[in-house]
Order: sequence, then structure tokens, then C-alpha cells
Amino acid sequence: MSTTATAPTRATEPKEFRSDLKPIWCPGCGDFGVLQALYRALASVGRPPHEIAFVSGIGCSSRIPGYTTAYGFNSVHGRALPIAQGIKIANPDLLVIVAGGDGDGFSIGGGHLPHAVRRNLDLTYLVMDNQIYGLTKGQLSPTSPRGLQTVTSGYGSIEDPVNPLLYVLAYGAGFVAQGTPADMPGLTAVIEEALRFPGFAFVNVQSPCVTFGEEEQQLRAHKANMQSLAGLGHDPADRLRAMALASDYGRELHTGVFYRNPEPAPTYDALVRQRQADLSPGVVPRERVLDRFRQDGGR
Amino acid sequence: MATPKVDLSRLSLKDALDLATLIEEEAHERYLELADQMDKHRTPGAAKFFRFMAENEAKHGAALSAQRRARFADAPRDVTRAMLFDVEAPEYDAARAFMTARQALGVALRCEEKAYAFFTEALAHVNDPQVKTLFDELGAEEVSHQDLVRRELAHLPPGEDRNGEAFVDDPNAQ
Repeated sequence: MSTTATAPTRATEPKEFRSDLKPIWCPGCGDFGVLQALYRALASVGRPPHEIAFVSGIGCSSRIPGYTTAYGFNSVHGRALPIAQGIKIANPDLLVIVAGGDGDGFSIGGGHLPHAVRRNLDLTYLVMDNQIYGLTKGQLSPTSPRGLQTVTSGYGSIEDPVNPLLYVLAYGAGFVAQGTPADMPGLTAVIEEALRFPGFAFVNVQSPCVTFGEEEQQLRAHKANMQSLAGLGHDPADRLRAMALASDYGRELHTGVFYRNPEPAPTYDALVRQRQADLSPGVVPRERVLDRFRQDGGR
Repeated sequence: MATPKVDLSRLSLKDALDLATLIEEEAHERYLELADQMDKHRTPGAAKFFRFMAENEAKHGAALSAQRRARFADAPRDVTRAMLFDVEAPEYDAARAFMTARQALGVALRCEEKAYAFFTEALAHVNDPQVKTLFDELGAEEVSHQDLVRRELAHLPPGEDRNGEAFVDDPNAQ
């Protein structure tokens, strides 16, 4: 059984997902757009806030669960994915979203990502990729481009960046997309599609750091340079072509769905349920455990 | 188009009034958000102006909402906020810490211009004559708002710009 966002329980409005906490991101930060896109995507999906668990790591972008009305867990640096996997296995009925930055996801948390992908739990992982550690005032991050001058690389970075898109495609992610707040309808659409995908879904959001980021990485530059994958005629079922396009990361800004597995594999959570059912015939289902305390005996 | 999920060719007057109300509502909320951002980042002049704009958008929204109620009472709404994107609302990247009053007015002017562009471009797709009339009126209102902002801009002293030495730092603790 898929427990992803396939069965809306009622119509919802974006404002239902907005918490009373006001974001403290720098004015102009790309994360504001990501948050708005997420509100809209969640409203379209139609799951109410109490059926959603939103887990993050540490960093500017990891503040995002607090700005929603979903159950939130602003967790430990780089450990959002393991925590989210635990939540999903414990309560597969929840819609589980994971968020964080490029440093959180590909550096300190980099070791967790391949395992989350290969397990294929039904999670949506949103990375707000700004190519810098912004919260700690501008150091090189794993996606910083070669040559970038920061407070920790006064003469320019001598390292090549991680390619997050190729990384998750190589490990077999069933859904891989990229968006930017410079294209709000497009970003909302890929987040919504990721939420609905039955399995591990990865969305890399190019979300500029307005304070420490480079001018050519700001939204104005995105608007001028972004290329829609649909506009390029890309077929999201073509994984090899998706990998070829993903290798442009850092040089071109492709937006949309790189890869969507046309025959999604069974999710880990579904396999766990199946295994539990196989090993425990005749056991009362979890949702009926409390029935035995009813005076009518659960009849 | 900033309303990719709205089929303008089939828009009824009720839907159009709802859409217009939601556009004002979105702008009202966004200006308030930007005002809060400015307050948090020690930019009180821009915060005050964005609150003023928020009030104006709320007034326009209330007028449209009253018009809708008078004509269609509580008939269900088919247009939702999830269907529109920054039609008149300032985009988030328009805001900067320590922006000047002149820059804040520039943001508002660009918003009035894009709202006008939305209503005039939409006319090409709209079929209902009552919706055409409404969008014509709303487009004209946006032009009058542009004139208002331009007059305010003209009253500001020239040369005012962002303080390049100022730096976003130490946001308020939560």
C-alpha cells in the first residue's frame, strides 16, 4: 500500500499550512519562495496538517518546518533523513517531508542520503541548495563552485562541487527534480509531484543566499538563465538522458522533472508492512488494537 | 501567466470577482510579510511603507469582496489561492534589508505595473463580457495606483540609496 499523498481527505487552503511563527530569513532569501510553493503544493495535495510530519536538519533552510502547521522536528545537523525514516516506519500513514540545505544534506549528512535512496521509503526530500553555509556567515559548502571566494577560501575554492542530481540518480532515486523560486508555478508543481510520488522523491531547489551568495546565483539571474526540461523535450522516463542533463549542474539551470520512474518500486514501508503481515497471521491489525478495550468487545 | 491553473476563457463574473479578491488578499499578506521582514532587519522606513500598501490592498480586497457578496451571496468559490502566483504581490526577492523608501516605492510601482499587465493580457483570453468589463476597470485602477506611486516617488529626495556598509547580521532570536 502506498501511503503517500495519493488520497486527499479534504480540500485545503495554503494558509492552513502557515504557522504563526514569522520567518527570520534575510529579506530576499530564496527560502521564502520555497515556503510559499510548499504551502500551495500541500494545499493541492489535500492532506491536513496533522497528517504531515516535517523533519529538518540544521541551517537557515532547516527552520522551515517551524513555519508550517505540520508536525515539525528541527533535528540534528545532517540527521534529518534517518529521523524521517524512523518516523515513516513507525507511522507509515503520515506524509513525511524532509528538508535542509546543501551543507546539511551533502556534507555532514551525505552518508545518509544513499541509504535513504536505496531503501526507498516514501519520503519527499527538499534540499534548498544555495552553494554556501549562510547561517554561519558564508563558508564553502559541498555545492560551492570551484573558484568561489568565501571567508574560508580567500583565494577561491580549489574543489569541484558535489552534483546532487547525479548523486541521487546514480543511487536509484525514483523521482528527481529541480526548481527555483524564480519560477513559482514550476517549483510548486515539482514539489506537488514529489509529494504524490510513491517512494523516495528528491527535489533540489536552487534557493539563493541573498547575503553571501554570488550575484549570478540570485533569482534575477535564474529568471534569465533557467531552462525548462519540458521545454527541452526531455522525457522524464529516460533515466540515462536524465543523468546526462543532470551532469550540467553548476553550468546550466534546468528546471522540472529529470526522472520519474514509470514503474515505481515497492516502498520500504510497504515491504515492512508486508513482512509484518507475513510473520504475524491472525494478529489484530494495529488500528484495531484498542478495540479490545471497548465495552462491546469491538463488535 | 501568473494563474496557470485558472482557465480564463471559462471565467464567470463570480470567479473573476473571487480571483480579483484573492489577488488583493495575496498582495495584502505579502506586503505585511515584507513589513515584518523589514522590522526584523532594522529597516523601519520600508516597513512603514509596506504596511501602508498592505492596508490599501486590504481596502481594495474588501470592496471586491462586497461586490461579490452583493451579486452572488455565499455561492461556493471555485478559485483558490493555490491557483495564483504573485499577480500583484511583490516577489520575495524584491525586498532587501536596509532598502530605502525610494526602493520600497519602486517595489510597489513594479507590482502595480505587473498587475496592470495581468489584467490587460487576460482580456485576450476572457470570453464573458461582464468579466471583460471588470478586468478593464481593474486595469484602469492599477494605472491610477501607478500614478499615485509615481507622485510619491517624485516627492522623495533624490540620490537616496541602500547603505552599502550596512550588513544583514544577528537576526532576532525566536
